Amino acid sequence: MPIPVAYNVRNLLVRRWTSAFSAGGIALVVAATMLLAALVGGLQRMLVATGEPDNWVVLRKGATNDGSSQVPREAAQAIRTLPGIARGADGQPLASPELVNQPFMVTREGGRENVLVRGVEPVAFAVHRSLRIVEGRMFQPKLGEVVIGTGIARRYAGARLGSSIEFGRRHWRVVGVFDSGGTSFDSEIWADVADVQDDTRRQGYSGVRVTLAPEADPAAFVHRVESDGRFTLEATPELAYYEEQAESANTLYVLVLTLAIVMGTGALFGALNTMYAAVAARTPEIGTLRALGFPRRAILVSFLTESLMLAAAGLVGGAALAALAVWSINTLLAGVQFAMMTFSVATVLLHISPGGALLGTTIAVAIGVLGGLAPAWHAARLRVVDALHRA
Amino acid sequence: MTWRRLVWRNLFRHPLRAIFTTLAVALAIFLVCAVLTLPAALATILERSASNVRISVHHKAGLTYWLPFAYVARVRNIPGVAGVNHFSWFGGIYDEPKNLFPNFAIDPDTVDDVWPDYGIPAETLARFRAVRNGCLVGNATMERFGWRIGQEITLRGTIFPVNLTFRIVGVIPPGVGNPYVLWFHRKYLEEAMEERGGFGNVGMIWIRAERPEDVDRIMASVDALFRNSEAEVASETEKAFIGSFFGSMQAMIRVILAVGFLCVGAVVLIAANTSAMGIRERVPEIAIMKSLGFPRRAILLALVAESTTQALLGGLLGAGGAWGILGALAAAGKTGASAFLGPLGSFRMSPEIAGQGVLIALAVGLVAGFVPAWNGARLPVVEALRKLF
Repeated sequence: MPIPVAYNVRNLLVRRWTSAFSAGGIALVVAATMLLAALVGGLQRMLVATGEPDNWVVLRKGATNDGSSQVPREAAQAIRTLPGIARGADGQPLASPELVNQPFMVTREGGRENVLVRGVEPVAFAVHRSLRIVEGRMFQPKLGEVVIGTGIARRYAGARLGSSIEFGRRHWRVVGVFDSGGTSFDSEIWADVADVQDDTRRQGYSGVRVTLAPEADPAAFVHRVESDGRFTLEATPELAYYEEQAESANTLYVLVLTLAIVMGTGALFGALNTMYAAVAARTPEIGTLRALGFPRRAILVSFLTESLMLAAAGLVGGAALAALAVWSINTLLAGVQFAMMTFSVATVLLHISPGGALLGTTIAVAIGVLGGLAPAWHAARLRVVDALHRA
Repeated sequence: MTWRRLVWRNLFRHPLRAIFTTLAVALAIFLVCAVLTLPAALATILERSASNVRISVHHKAGLTYWLPFAYVARVRNIPGVAGVNHFSWFGGIYDEPKNLFPNFAIDPDTVDDVWPDYGIPAETLARFRAVRNGCLVGNATMERFGWRIGQEITLRGTIFPVNLTFRIVGVIPPGVGNPYVLWFHRKYLEEAMEERGGFGNVGMIWIRAERPEDVDRIMASVDALFRNSEAEVASETEKAFIGSFFGSMQAMIRVILAVGFLCVGAVVLIAANTSAMGIRERVPEIAIMKSLGFPRRAILLALVAESTTQALLGGLLGAGGAWGILGALAAAGKTGASAFLGPLGSFRMSPEIAGQGVLIALAVGLVAGFVPAWNGARLPVVEALRKLF
């Protein structure tokens, strides 16, 4: 017969400060881990979400991002005519020549950052299908009108629908706000490509984004792009392109795991202390329980249960704390900025991913099991006579 | 038994518990030291490598906007200017696209006028001036690619439609200068661009002021010089220029610091628990000491000293460990975060951070030990003794 769980609950409540402190220690460790995991989760969500599986990025050969690539006008023209490119409703090829610029903008806090401005033609909205205008309307060509991503609207001074913002050589009118579902486009400003060419005094483009037709052979397309002797171009799948922008995510991931393991070990020591003390304080009780006929296994399970209850309380508290921290960072600080491979900055909302939640849970459960096992084992192995002798 | 010996003996009354708690503190302090290193490294970079007398002049609209090259000659005539040089971002790729590092076309004749603090030997500079396709490379980039002096390397242009082959003539010594950068002759780039429409722009102009008190006046003159022209400029000190890059890291730093504080909080709870447990078990003993005439204050002191000693041990262990591990990582070149963070790529933990870690540990011991010790010391003797008999 197992020892009733009520016994454990009461024991935890009797030593309420000790219990609260142990659970609190676990909670803070879980919160720290989940908060850091949310940082990685937000970055990963952004980068995984960015890009379409049938889109290709055509850049100057060797360029790692569209901020450091230049493609002449004739090359963009040549790409448009390549076979294999999907066609839009109007029969035009879904090839979007884009010019990326990175002017200064002033943040709400008064700092200065490089912002990614993407000069596009109307076809861009057919190629980048994740974009939706959520407020206002589309810009009209050659009027100095722009649409801004939701991340831009959160971060920069005066960036809102209907206002005039200053970047580059002139003022621009914000006529719309777009949402791309948390992708890195949300940290961009989109304008008419002719306006951006005029502002940067540049001809040509940074690159061309292309949607391939479902029946097209991507390898043949890549070969055609890269074998054109007139230009030195390179085609990369859009998904792979954004994955490469995320190398800092991997560094962060190592950081999170290290923190989780190191701090989890610290909290484990705390839990071990608590449970050893609980066993030591209750030695006579354990003797009594054994004398009453509870088997060794019941004692083991009981102490393990108690340790896991502590861990569960810590997990709930820690998750709540992490959720609160994530919420405040996202609403009060408007997210966290990451430097991209371009020189501009992307604003990421923290996000507790299933992986992050799992990591927090794993830590709490591991602390509960490892912290309870040795003391519980110790308790179960006590000889009845010795234990009762201490009473 | 001396007072000190009493504390020490009590500390290891439960060896396992003492070890667990000390290790928990050590791990937390280790993390805190690692976490504090990032913002401290940023501050150090600003402090050490960014000069107050060097002025960056760039287009008002941003770093991607070119300035006319003729601007360089015009700022030279401003009184108080000790030297003028310039950067034009070439954006060349070595071998693999991911091998991105900063490479700039500059003026080889005035390197020492503008960057005397970099400590580049005079003979290296002479060689740089003499070799038309010569380049100077920061030590970190030299090591990264395994380059040696005299070697020829080719960088593939991604912004400029040309590939350039350079001969490495010298190394920019570590310390003040950017360890990642590659500098080459602007003339060499101009010649290569001749058939492709030429190159008459410049990315950024660097000015070194003769005296710090001239800096504000020079910056105002530069801005006024090009006001209402085709390309208006903004000038700022090198410190402000580099500082503006760190501005966008603030939110990230706040999150990381928050994580550090959560860790410290966790360890305070763990340590408080341990000392409370220790004192609870010792109630009869404390009562006997009191009945023997030990004053309350002596008992309180002994108990607090115990938790503080323990935390201090943990703190020393954690800070020492962080010092050793981060130092080894930096030595192995494994902490290189990004080529664009400059000296941050090789950050090391400073002694101040280690000191702060130990201080935090001390505070943890005091906070965690005081309340349980206070309760212990205030125990009424009679009641405590009753528990014993």
